[in-house]
Amino acid sequence: MKAIKCEALTKTYYRKKALNDLTFSVEENKIVGLVGRNGAGKTTLMKILSGFSKAKTGVVEVYGRRPFNNLFVSANTIYIDDQMNFPTTLMLNEILEEGRRFYHNWDHDLALRLFEYFGFHRKQHHNELSKGKESTFNMIVGLASRSPLTIFDEPTTGMDAAVRKDFYRALLKDYLAHPRTILLSTHHLEEMEDVLEEVVLLHEGSLHLHMSMDDLKEYSVGLSGKISEMEPFLQGRDVLYKQNRAVDDCYAVIRNDLTGGEYRQMQQAGIITSPVSASDLCVYMTSETSGKGSVDDVFERSADR
Amino acid sequence: MILDTDGMKPIYVQIAEWLESEILHGNFKADEKVYSQYKLSDLYNINPATAAKGLTKLAEEGILYDKRGIGKFVSPHAKQMIMDKRKNQTLKTLIEDLVREAGYLELSEEDVIRLVREAWKGEKG
Repeated sequence: MKAIKCEALTKTYYRKKALNDLTFSVEENKIVGLVGRNGAGKTTLMKILSGFSKAKTGVVEVYGRRPFNNLFVSANTIYIDDQMNFPTTLMLNEILEEGRRFYHNWDHDLALRLFEYFGFHRKQHHNELSKGKESTFNMIVGLASRSPLTIFDEPTTGMDAAVRKDFYRALLKDYLAHPRTILLSTHHLEEMEDVLEEVVLLHEGSLHLHMSMDDLKEYSVGLSGKISEMEPFLQGRDVLYKQNRAVDDCYAVIRNDLTGGEYRQMQQAGIITSPVSASDLCVYMTSETSGKGSVDDVFERSADR
Repeated sequence: MILDTDGMKPIYVQIAEWLESEILHGNFKADEKVYSQYKLSDLYNINPATAAKGLTKLAEEGILYDKRGIGKFVSPHAKQMIMDKRKNQTLKTLIEDLVREAGYLELSEEDVIRLVREAWKGEKG
């Protein structure tokens, strides 16, 4: 069964398209990373999936039902971001109690153990927490809910490196014990790539790429060497990224479809091949169409004046 | 084993090679059950689908066999198969690299053989 299905989904804010003809689907019980640049449409998509907002056109289904104004989807979905609207009158332990009342799969024992491990106090209030602590508490609610569709929007905002590591581990362990569909957006793809099964890359409201993490990591290869030596190899190829680093030194990222013979030719030409991380690749693939060049160009122009 | 997550070698291949080494060292014996994808996932903090891919690779090569619903087991001749594979593939690529590097350094065939002999003596003698 499909946990998520979107067809030709479009959402506009003030005439600007936040989502543009987005079509993709996610099978049940996978951990999927949603990535893209700021403003690519990640949050918009997640809010539509959790029924918080409505698409303008297109079809969206969560477990076969339209999420907007749907009690079934609400009961089986949780959306966690860094602006959780928990009542300020409730103490943290009371918020957890409310979670237990609403979510039928809620694991209160897990909630309390994580609560203790991360050093929370029952009588604290949510609005008194530091940014990192707030995210940590939200994450506990998200994990403990055991919702069949769990959505985390930038869950690690403000968390320090140690807590982020704990979070990835907790997420994986709880997922292994209780498989469910987890969709999470992140700007720390390099930190959690091993935990993800699939990656969905959005670019300007459209789907840029959707593939398994294992495939994404083998999708491309980095080449570096002298420009004159590189040019013949880049001819007619899909060059995903290219940067001239020194006068005669160039780095390029291409699709990883080289044959063994081509590899040897490159080695003989003094070209060094290197892996490209999924995180870097996603940045490369979503930067080329902006037409504004790199941030270096901003400074180049001012220096010319 | 510590996974090399930035390297050229995919994680699932590293998992498969680790299991092979465990079999070579006798930590998994013939007809014994190996770790499940979930156990491997927990051990190495990786997605279970990646771990499963490593197990499937070994099953396709005949090093593991499948007992439906129970798990994957070590084939009776797994050890020999792994040794043959490593001789034919791993050693061959290492030697090719050696010859290529020697070419860059303008060493002769005799030079390389002399170096190999010296290294051999150092290891074994």
